[in-house]
Amino acid sequence: MNQLARISKLYGEAEMKKVGIPRALIYYKFSEMWKTFFKELGAEVVISPETTKKIKADSVVAAPDEDCYSTKLYFGHTMALKNKVDYLFIPRFGGSHKTFVGCPKFIGLAEVLRSLFPDLPEMIMPHYNRAKEGDSKVNFLTKAYKIGLKFTKNPFRIIGAIRKALRVQKDYYRSLIIDEETLHKWERSEILLNDPPFINNYDRQLKIALVGHSYVLNDPYSSMNIRLILQEHGVDLITSEQMPRNLIDKQLSKFDYELYFDYEREILGTIMHFIESKTVDGIIHLMVFSCGPDSIAGEIAARVSKRDPAIPLLQLVFDELTAETGLKTRIEAFIDMLRRSEAEQVIFLSTKVRI
Amino acid sequence: MTISFPHVGSFTYVFESIVQEMNRKDVIVPTKPTYKTKQLGSRHASEFVCTPFKIMLGSFIEVVERGAYELIGTVFVDYCRLGYYTPLYKIILEDMGYDFDMIYLDFSKPIEFFKNMKTLTNGLNYLQAFQAFRVGYIKNRHIDLVDRYLYSYGAVEISKGTTRAVAEKAYRLIVETRGMSNIRKLPKIIKKMFEEGVEIDKTANPLKVAIIGELYAVVEPAINLDVMRRLNELGVIAYTPITFTRWIDFGMKAKTRLNPFKKEHFQTAVKKAKPYLEYRLGGKAQESIGDTIWYKELGWDGVVHLYPFTCMPEIISRSILPQISKDYNMPALSLVVDEHTGEAGFQTRLEAFVDLLERKRE
Repeated sequence: MNQLARISKLYGEAEMKKVGIPRALIYYKFSEMWKTFFKELGAEVVISPETTKKIKADSVVAAPDEDCYSTKLYFGHTMALKNKVDYLFIPRFGGSHKTFVGCPKFIGLAEVLRSLFPDLPEMIMPHYNRAKEGDSKVNFLTKAYKIGLKFTKNPFRIIGAIRKALRVQKDYYRSLIIDEETLHKWERSEILLNDPPFINNYDRQLKIALVGHSYVLNDPYSSMNIRLILQEHGVDLITSEQMPRNLIDKQLSKFDYELYFDYEREILGTIMHFIESKTVDGIIHLMVFSCGPDSIAGEIAARVSKRDPAIPLLQLVFDELTAETGLKTRIEAFIDMLRRSEAEQVIFLSTKVRI
Repeated sequence: MTISFPHVGSFTYVFESIVQEMNRKDVIVPTKPTYKTKQLGSRHASEFVCTPFKIMLGSFIEVVERGAYELIGTVFVDYCRLGYYTPLYKIILEDMGYDFDMIYLDFSKPIEFFKNMKTLTNGLNYLQAFQAFRVGYIKNRHIDLVDRYLYSYGAVEISKGTTRAVAEKAYRLIVETRGMSNIRKLPKIIKKMFEEGVEIDKTANPLKVAIIGELYAVVEPAINLDVMRRLNELGVIAYTPITFTRWIDFGMKAKTRLNPFKKEHFQTAVKKAKPYLEYRLGGKAQESIGDTIWYKELGWDGVVHLYPFTCMPEIISRSILPQISKDYNMPALSLVVDEHTGEAGFQTRLEAFVDLLERKRE
């Protein structure tokens, strides 16, 4: 028995190493890929719990006071993992698009955490930045391989893990992002894209585009459960994450100079698409306080909407002090407004068009 | 077709001389931003956009009201919002109902940049257009030199205000000098102007403080409440390595390599910052960290780190700066500035910092 343990220790497979991933920021984009990758390598993946009041309180204490709300939450999630894991996985991600970049916070996070809290467990912080540093696919694979070496010495296992992780991520994107045809079906109320709205007594369901960062949309605590609130009001949703990319690119090419924040593009593109196509009743834009790209896109969205005011746009700014009651009141008022204007609203609906 | 641009600290003089070299007489030179400019900008900008945006918007509105038609703005892809200011200015100014033409100069595409610049000139060819730009970047070095003298002589001058008067004269001289051979002689003339024009206290042993941080917050006195003059008044020599040289100086620019023997300031600074912040993340985040280390090695007494409220890259370097300050025993004061920054609080913090430096030296 002793000998067996020693042999397996020799091959580095004695105990499962624990990798911690904070459930915040780009976790919501790449969670599937990361989880699969580490699981395939034989590591135990520990993901921080969903945001709670305690995590928020921890974040506000731990984080630099000028960071945006979502970045602050990242600090809280890291604190929640601190004593439970051997490694922390905090990638320095600069953007995967050819020319468009991500947020600088993603690149600096790992180093800020290391500087503020030297007692954190060892960090795995690969850097990937296609737009600015010109990282190619080969670079990506090399970096992934180097991470793999921390867990196993078997090259085939690492390569297998990378391949599987990439495939899972691709499948995830495929299931998340809809194509134009599906979008048109949704616009004609033939299908549902998200959870069905609760049954209500109104004659027609409202259709609302819920627009925002994936780490706000998918985090019930930081978005104050806005999806559930809307569901209760009998609203059929589409989120900006699901929008077909070609429509977004088409909308943003209208500007003299293209907006270069990769994840902000889908937000602004969605708003502009629905303002132009007029196939929803209203748009709700979730912004995060002191988010840099949001301040630009939010301003543009507000001005575009002012120029073509047929579709109402509600911009909600979230921070750690946002109260749920105030938010609910504003959403209720917005939905009441939409229902009242339903009769006059010019909406393209196949059921209403009679030729 | 009057041409104009927003006010950006002493860089405005460079703009002015480039336009002058382009053979344009119809130029509206922006005035220094005042309280009213800040108010005007904040009223029309979004709520939590960074302060440079607001002040530059205010400056744009002022020049448009004075009759400017062609407005120059830069665009580029970066992590910072700065690259997308101009398209947004265009949308805002259009909504306000002004009649104007926004011209984009894209720094990341040199060929397009010069094509656009040529259309702005009054019938110059490409070579002459480049020459106009070259005069601009050479004058930029001289402007930096004047700034450097201004904030070193200012700390030890005997009668207050003489240095500033000499500097104003020097700025005008630089703008008005024409012809490359005359421009080449300028550094000597400027040096002599300061040596003869300013009477200094030779027994003084002033502290030396480097100003680092975000570009606009450092170069524009209107946003940083003239922090360098304030330090001078406290008897401290202030110097900033953060200038426009990195962006416009093709003679020294690392990428173009017109001069392979020159090494730019930022390259050394970035190298020193690598152990703390390995990759570039926009703004001056890496330089801020590298400079703190570098100026400690050069024997300076402290650094003042300036950045506008909600600046994305500088918040990162600000979070790391305390560790560097501790590791290298270098006092660093981080100051966040925005349009509401109060003068009294600012002054008190600077005074306390200078007191600390003095006590540390003893």
